[in-house]
Amino acid sequence: MSATGSRQSILARIRSATADSASTTPYASLPRNYTHSGSQPTAAVLHLLAERLREYDADLIECSPADLAACIADRLAASGRHKFVAPTDLPAAWLAPGFDWLIDHNLTHHQIELCDGVLTAAFAAIADSGTIVLHHSSTEGRRVLTLLPDWHLCILRATQVVETLPEYFSRCGHPPALVTFISGPSATADIEMTRIKGVHGPRFLNVILVRDDLQSVPHHYEAGSHEQL
Amino acid sequence: MSGAAGGSIATRSSDPVLDPVRALPFPEAALPILHNTQLRTNVAHATDIIQAKRARLVQEKSDWQALRTAAAAIRDNVLQNLGDYLEQFETNCIAAGGFVHWATDADEARRIILDLLRDENASEVIKIKTMTSAEIQLNPALEAAGIHPVETDLAELILQLGDDEPSHIVVPALHVNRFQVREIFARRMGLPNLADDPQALTAAARAHLRKKFLSVPAAISGANFLIAETGSVSIVESEGNGRMCLTLPRTLITLAGIEKVLPRYRDLEVMLQILARSATGERMNPYTSLWTGVVPNDGPQRFHVVLLDNGRSSILARPVERQTLRCIRCAACQNACPVYRQTGGHAYGSVYGGPIGAILTPQLMHLEHAQSLPYASSLCGACYEVCPVKINIPEVLIELRAQVTDIERKQATRVFDPMYLGMRVANTIFSSAGLFHLAQRLGRIALAPFTRKDGWIHSLPSLGSRWTVSRDLRGLSKQTFRDWWSVRQKEKP
Amino acid sequence: MRASLFIACYNDTLFPETGRAVVHLLERLGVNLDFNPGQTCCGQMHANTGFRAEAFSQAKRFVRLYQNAETVVIPSSSCVAMIRDQYPGLFAELGNDSLRNEFTALFPRVYELSEFLIDKLAVEDVGAYFPHRVTYHASCHGLRALHLGDRPFRLLSKVRGLELVPLANLDRCCGFGGTFSIKNAAVSSAMLETKLHDVLSTRAEFCAALDNSCLMHLGGALHRRSNPMRTIHLAQILACTGSTPAEAFA
Repeated sequence: MSATGSRQSILARIRSATADSASTTPYASLPRNYTHSGSQPTAAVLHLLAERLREYDADLIECSPADLAACIADRLAASGRHKFVAPTDLPAAWLAPGFDWLIDHNLTHHQIELCDGVLTAAFAAIADSGTIVLHHSSTEGRRVLTLLPDWHLCILRATQVVETLPEYFSRCGHPPALVTFISGPSATADIEMTRIKGVHGPRFLNVILVRDDLQSVPHHYEAGSHEQL
Repeated sequence: MSGAAGGSIATRSSDPVLDPVRALPFPEAALPILHNTQLRTNVAHATDIIQAKRARLVQEKSDWQALRTAAAAIRDNVLQNLGDYLEQFETNCIAAGGFVHWATDADEARRIILDLLRDENASEVIKIKTMTSAEIQLNPALEAAGIHPVETDLAELILQLGDDEPSHIVVPALHVNRFQVREIFARRMGLPNLADDPQALTAAARAHLRKKFLSVPAAISGANFLIAETGSVSIVESEGNGRMCLTLPRTLITLAGIEKVLPRYRDLEVMLQILARSATGERMNPYTSLWTGVVPNDGPQRFHVVLLDNGRSSILARPVERQTLRCIRCAACQNACPVYRQTGGHAYGSVYGGPIGAILTPQLMHLEHAQSLPYASSLCGACYEVCPVKINIPEVLIELRAQVTDIERKQATRVFDPMYLGMRVANTIFSSAGLFHLAQRLGRIALAPFTRKDGWIHSLPSLGSRWTVSRDLRGLSKQTFRDWWSVRQKEKP
Repeated sequence: MRASLFIACYNDTLFPETGRAVVHLLERLGVNLDFNPGQTCCGQMHANTGFRAEAFSQAKRFVRLYQNAETVVIPSSSCVAMIRDQYPGLFAELGNDSLRNEFTALFPRVYELSEFLIDKLAVEDVGAYFPHRVTYHASCHGLRALHLGDRPFRLLSKVRGLELVPLANLDRCCGFGGTFSIKNAAVSSAMLETKLHDVLSTRAEFCAALDNSCLMHLGGALHRRSNPMRTIHLAQILACTGSTPAEAFA
């Protein structure tokens, strides 16, 4: 069949087109004089992340590591929703009692579609653009989990937050097979450039920022209160 | 403006033809659009907004120029080593469980995709917006084969339901306003009481498409980037329909131009920063997805990449024009272009309009069609200024004009073409000061009958009439500058 | 300071008053100006329309004409842009070593008028007096090809009596584009309409620029509408002093 023939002819044309390329800068020497690391202290970086998330109408709340489970329970209660789906390896303490939990042991799409919300961890967040990064590990869940339900609660640790996009890539080590960068709930600006939230992905994005960067426990989380940075 | 019976929309430029083989030359295609006030208002409104957002973010990004330099360098490195990177991508994609196909041209790409869909027994396929699939005119071929393509991007849905064509690379329905969208949705989705606010319209689209996402087993996507290092594919989007198409079906087919490859995963740290800012004036678009081959239990278990040449390897061979392939389809050039502002995309007779269209389309056509496009520019340079990968579009436009002229001047029909004749005569005149001086005097005599008492010319014949259609021309004065100088020199002591 | 004036073919023929103004201005500033009557055109019109061989023959002529000039001053950004941006490619592709050397030697000695005044003569205040309301249009070649920046504004700010009104959407093309105005007359006219809206909103008496090409296009439309606003080349404003009536140059 012509498949291999096309492959050969395309590559041959490409090679002949690039044979006489003038001075070629090797990949390792390409100019990269853009900003690599951020320059702000942690508190400012976390504040920036919160600001960016609020610009997208995503909700961010802080808590200490000790108060995480209570904070999750509170957030779930405040959502008014009942049926939640979770990735397979979330800590048991996160699965607050009083709600209908479905753990993703090869659930069908229809089963997931019936859930009101999803709870996951994350790999990292980038403050500059207000981006949450998921590598879809067993605490972050298969991609469909954070796609079908309308409400997503994401648990982010302060030590996972970086200021710039290049910093995230430095943290990666080996590139992941699956990545989803989430910068606010889904939106469209296709009708007269008016930004409308929530087309197909989750319309509601909530983040709990766990202050695992702090030594002691200066904030005492109280159920029902919002901790502002 | 309301649609007439039969479903025509006021913004349609009387059946836009986005096929460079059949489209009218730009000057003619532009004429009816210039009279379409609604369309021009919509285009100006949309491009103003994106430009303002982009400008604000670029201002705040202190390393913007360094990012542009890096981006251009990475893209040039890719083009210089394209064969190696494509083979690396192929090897890694296959190792991860994907299939890689190579298509020499649009025809072959369509055949490959049709064969894959027939293997699926697909009667429907969901699609993420991809200009590349419009380039190869995929949808009509699918329909002809009994496979219904369902566009899932809101803009593409608006166009599909409205029997319309894209007019912008990133915001394809920017020429349509909310009232027109309401009319289309109400009619085609059977929602007579639909409101016209964007919120209601978007909710209608969401409900309409949800069923499709959960049931159609095959999807077609384009690609923003292919990563050679890992064999991964990346797509950038706003609405979530991309994620739906990439995650839910059993089979995914990704169509990508061969120039879309990047060397390494980390190169996205540059490209993602410039793409969203340039395309939609955001620091980052809502969703960016990356996947590698097939991942057990997560997403499509059958994955095919179709690599498309369709004229790109010819562009690669040309020293000045090669930079055209750096393009990452951000459409910042369209938003900045004062010509595009007046005409929108349909006048270019191609899915690629605006400045990038003016250089890409004629080249993909091997200069056999779309020869008017390199002239659809005043060479103002606004596009080059905003291009995140520093494509010197004016330079390429001028180069293409030279090539088109070289082709045309050999044609017998051009010998008496007033433009060609005029250029040859002008060159002769400029070759000698004596002839130039004579021409100045003869010119003044020739224009005298057209010069009114106030010293201005109101109407001219032939090519001149194209000037006087909207402008007067001041008549030539009795004394040219050189005459004045010469008299002055003689009068000097 | 000696300088050779390249007037530009269209200024010579259609806007001789700009040429006269340049001469009066530079001589007033003590420049020993000469004008080589052998000059014709820089080749831009042909280059931009795709007639490369013809453009090259004009470029060759230009370079030969000025090989011994100390400095060449040109009151036209588009001509200077042609020389800086396109001559290198033309000479590389169509020339020989000797021509390329001549061009390379000439290259740094070519100045657009506002560059000549600010960079070479190091003057901003040229002693001008022009008591009128003026708006300034930044032609695309000057803005993006030559990166003239604030040079024209610095010169205008020192003109006594002049009230400068900023132009909205300053960096938007007026739609002239050389032969574009003929080949794509309808679109060119639409762009002109858009530009004119901004120009007229300034309610200025004069619209100034460093290029008569743009001004021919704008001025032609103003006259068509019987609008009292007039176009004027920057050189003509700078040439006006207290002792010379403005009308002589307008």
